[in-house]
Amino acid sequence: MRSGVLRRVLRIRSAQIALVILLGIAVLVVFGSSIAPQDPLHQDVARLLQGPSGAHWLGTDYLGRDVLSRLVAGSRLSVLTAVEAVAAALVVGALPGLASVFFGRWFDFIANRLTDAIMTLPTLVFAIAFTAVLGNRMTPVMLAVGFLISPYFFRVTRAAALQYAQEPYVDAARLFGVSRVRVVGTHVVGKVLPTVLVTAATALAGALLTVSSLTFLGIGVVPPAPTWGGVLSSDLNFLSQLPWAPLAPAALIMLTAGSLNILADALRDTIGTSGPPVVRAGAITDQEVDRVDEHPAA
Amino acid sequence: MRIVSSSSRLFTIFVPVVLLSTFITYGLGALSNSNPAAAVLGDTATPADIKRMDHQFGLDKPFLVQFVHWLGRVLHGDLGHSYFTGIPVTQSIGQRFPVDLSLTLLALVFAVILGGAAGVLAAVRQGSWIDRGITAISAVFTSVPAFVIGVGLVVVFATKLHVAPSSGYVGPTTDPQRWLQHMLLPAIAISLEPAVGVARQLRTALVHELRQNYVTGAVVRGLHPSRVLFGHALRNAAGPALTVLGAQVPFLIGGAVVTETVFSLPGLGQLAVSSAEQRDIPVVQGVLLVTSVIVILANLVVNAGLGKLRPRAGAVTA
Repeated sequence: MRSGVLRRVLRIRSAQIALVILLGIAVLVVFGSSIAPQDPLHQDVARLLQGPSGAHWLGTDYLGRDVLSRLVAGSRLSVLTAVEAVAAALVVGALPGLASVFFGRWFDFIANRLTDAIMTLPTLVFAIAFTAVLGNRMTPVMLAVGFLISPYFFRVTRAAALQYAQEPYVDAARLFGVSRVRVVGTHVVGKVLPTVLVTAATALAGALLTVSSLTFLGIGVVPPAPTWGGVLSSDLNFLSQLPWAPLAPAALIMLTAGSLNILADALRDTIGTSGPPVVRAGAITDQEVDRVDEHPAA
Repeated sequence: MRIVSSSSRLFTIFVPVVLLSTFITYGLGALSNSNPAAAVLGDTATPADIKRMDHQFGLDKPFLVQFVHWLGRVLHGDLGHSYFTGIPVTQSIGQRFPVDLSLTLLALVFAVILGGAAGVLAAVRQGSWIDRGITAISAVFTSVPAFVIGVGLVVVFATKLHVAPSSGYVGPTTDPQRWLQHMLLPAIAISLEPAVGVARQLRTALVHELRQNYVTGAVVRGLHPSRVLFGHALRNAAGPALTVLGAQVPFLIGGAVVTETVFSLPGLGQLAVSSAEQRDIPVVQGVLLVTSVIVILANLVVNAGLGKLRPRAGAVTA
């Protein structure tokens, strides 16, 4: 059933493009600085602020460092810390979301009020504050950010679990004396998973933007370590000489976040979750929806 | 659905929110391994000096006692003093707050105008190229952080076209026209994300409303289409968009904090970043508290607005 959903997502053109882009990003993340054409930290004072050339495809920055190499080498930190935040949010949010459906009104009430509270906190300002407390390292800060975005997983999981928990076969299992934990594990988790995946993809795009913002501010990284946001900010004082300089790092951030959003939209349309009412965001056209509907999952 | 009066809603939602955010804010300071006394006194500090300093900062008392004392002082408008400069935190924040307040308010206005217009256009011309165009542009802007838009605006309008200043700040009371010139680009940069949220939500809600019987009825009775749209359908569709706008306020403030750096605006974000680097905990706590309170107040305003817009929406929670 789940592989059917995936197969249908893969038939959508925009999802195919998004997946190819994300695979490319994944290669950058896995191999990072080892496939960078040059040393991302090497300063060449003879070639400061140069435009694209054969030797430097994306030019050099204000210290004469190769921009392409810095972007490639910076991929790992930029993407992996975002993944860490989402993984933390998944654990902190989705598990209580499942539990809230099965562990009584009080648990549900308290968990809901807590998530209401957390959702009103300004994430980025808190992330900046976390660096004051947890030290200027990305991982602990992004784990804390994961806590702040966990309410989204809580809400989505809770809503989906509520829907499936009222199915007759769940009642039947309960009547047969199957324990709550087993009912959740065998009957509900699998059904809720696609919905959680959609949220994870959207949250990953959001976390990526948070990481970029923090590294842009110079927070969470120690110079001269390269990051996507850092490459963007290092050119900021030289915009009059290099007006095109922000293009490459900005494009990298946008492509990654955009692909994740497109994938999330395609997945959402395919599984038809009720989720938050969002317009299809141009992810797929009506024609493609029809085509998907003509070929139900094998 | 459960009927909850607005006062109990206030109690069940906003009191825990305020308590939790203040607790996290204060807890952050307690969590920090840094010893402010040692940091302030430097290398030459003796243990006795540190003990005296700890006492002066109130760091030698149990955590909960410290929290209650701190909360009491905060309620009296005292956010403590910077560990390093000794300047009262309220003073530092007071100087920078107008920058972010005017920036955020201007961005909210832009978000409502841009998002509202785009949402209504897309809904009225549903399925047309205008609708598709707006939907596609919306998709792009959800994947672009505000500071990237800010950098783009600087490149195009400040360094290339020279039609707007790229940095600096003039107070709105000093010179309103120059204030607007300096605020225009940063406000647009941070307004686009909430504008997209408003546009998407408004389109969905308006498409739904336009299919309702009362709209058909109004059209059949011969009411002018614009009156049906703005007087009837939009009024009912605006609720969800307003809720989305309220939910966007934390992101708006986050966007403002980062975008300040792009435009060199002397706002709370710069203060937060510099004090976080120095581990100046009272200042960090102060900024957190003020921004959280703004978000909570914005939510209260949105709730009040929802109540006014649709009397039954204010009294019902899911």
